[in-house]
Amino acid sequence: MRLRDAARVIRSKNAGPTQVTIDLMFDDPKLYARALAAASMKPAVIAQRYGVAQAEVIPYPAANAIKIVLPRRVIAGTPGDTDVYGAQQHRPMIDVEI
Amino acid sequence: MSRQTSFARIIEKWQKERGPLRIMSASGQLGYGIIEKAFRAGLERDLHLIGADMGSVDPGPYYLGSGKLATARRSTKRDLKMVLTGALSMKVPLVIGTAGTAGGDVHLEQTLDIIREIAREEGLSFRLATIRSEMPRDLVKRQAKAGRITPIGPMADLTDSEIDGAACIVGQAGTEAFVRAIDTLPDVIVAGRACDTGIYTCLPEKLGFPMGPALQMAKIIECASLACEGGGRDAMLGTLEGESFVLESMNPARKATPMSVAAHGLYEQADPLSVAEPEGVLYLEDSKFEAVDERRCRVAGGRWVPTTAYSVKIEGATRVGARAIMVAGSADPVFIEKADEIAGLVEAQIRELVPPKPENPYTLYFRFYGLGVVGGQPVSTLPEEVGVIVECIGEDEEEARAVAATAKQYLLHAPFPGRISTAGNLGFPFTPPELTAGDAYRFSVYHIMQVDDLAPLFPVAVEEVG
Repeated sequence: MRLRDAARVIRSKNAGPTQVTIDLMFDDPKLYARALAAASMKPAVIAQRYGVAQAEVIPYPAANAIKIVLPRRVIAGTPGDTDVYGAQQHRPMIDVEI
Repeated sequence: MSRQTSFARIIEKWQKERGPLRIMSASGQLGYGIIEKAFRAGLERDLHLIGADMGSVDPGPYYLGSGKLATARRSTKRDLKMVLTGALSMKVPLVIGTAGTAGGDVHLEQTLDIIREIAREEGLSFRLATIRSEMPRDLVKRQAKAGRITPIGPMADLTDSEIDGAACIVGQAGTEAFVRAIDTLPDVIVAGRACDTGIYTCLPEKLGFPMGPALQMAKIIECASLACEGGGRDAMLGTLEGESFVLESMNPARKATPMSVAAHGLYEQADPLSVAEPEGVLYLEDSKFEAVDERRCRVAGGRWVPTTAYSVKIEGATRVGARAIMVAGSADPVFIEKADEIAGLVEAQIRELVPPKPENPYTLYFRFYGLGVVGGQPVSTLPEEVGVIVECIGEDEEEARAVAATAKQYLLHAPFPGRISTAGNLGFPFTPPELTAGDAYRFSVYHIMQVDDLAPLFPVAVEEVG
């Protein structure tokens, strides 16, 4: 099952200019648990997918949600950036198999 | 003849009546258009305070560096007029944070100019307290030398030359600064760069409400109705009961549900379970969300741990050059297939025709939209069309424009193996397709600065307007 079929929301946004955070929100607590347990959701696997040194994966059971925090490759708005608000960095996650 | 100001009235009224505090957030981004219907509905709710946030670090370093507002002056004036006349007509205090997008002195001044203009035009008179947020450079240097400034994420340690080179350095004022402004008993407070929470926590702090729930409420309502199902920009009412608070959108169609409010805790936060403020940390792991009815939600559990080791988030922007861009598109399959290779050839040609200065070389970026530049992963099938932006950051506008114009001409006519469209590789949406975009900036300061005392960093001034 792909994340896009399991989650209601897959979104990204800056958390300050040096980090981007990706939120995955699920309606079904079972799908939330399944995503959280998936090998593809391990921090090292996600970091590799985004080509960054490390990723953090934070469960947020209050909203059946998972937060991913990544360092930005370019600090927001520095020349060479392609997404100043970080709102389009969810793409590499949406087809991830869980 | 002394008129009772809005803060004086509200403090006296609350001390007589006690009970919950009704605080309305008019907007999370003043200047982009406040939804009037919800705002007017909120005015009828016997409010103790109206707040609006006006800025953020999100739009990037340009506004902080250039001194310009992200919002158009006309829209900014419309919104300011709505909140000013609304608050004054009801004698409810108005608090505005991060004036003019970035909250430097120049942004604050432009915002105050608009406010004074509205006061003249509308015949308003009121007491205005302002909070300045620009950081003195000598203090920042001293704290850096003393090892009391910590970079956030990949930022470098701050050097004297980086501090001197920044066009503007601001610090985020916290609750403390807003409370000092309240102590001048104004009608309106306008702050430079500030924590968006301080706008809403200052009155609860002044009246002795527990800070945990007050701060958790502030963190939610500062985004207006965004915590409702499906989001929303309408005004949001927070009713602070003490150890709990109730959220209600001022648009009756918007529902604040336990799930939507809980989920909002994730928004733009690296850590959904703690919020660092200058005067302490808010912990949210014990949050409880409970439906009051189908569109109101009660929240409790925010735990505040104060500190006397004060810290201020500081932000600075430095000019890196002037920007010019070239905008075009291509529908040619051979060009699209070989776009990156062609870009390399054209770049070499440009560098020959407009030689970069060795001491300060320009930088050049080719972006082919449709080929995976936005989301950071390659596309699996080639698109029928691509959008093209060539961007140059040069020493000055003239150099950047020269590079962009050369890029336009040589990318249009670049020969490459297999070319079939020999009259031109690009379609331009208009001419000139190369545009100058003013100065370009980068964030050079995004650090945490420890200080012994917050008050000297954020001076409060009072002015009688009108």
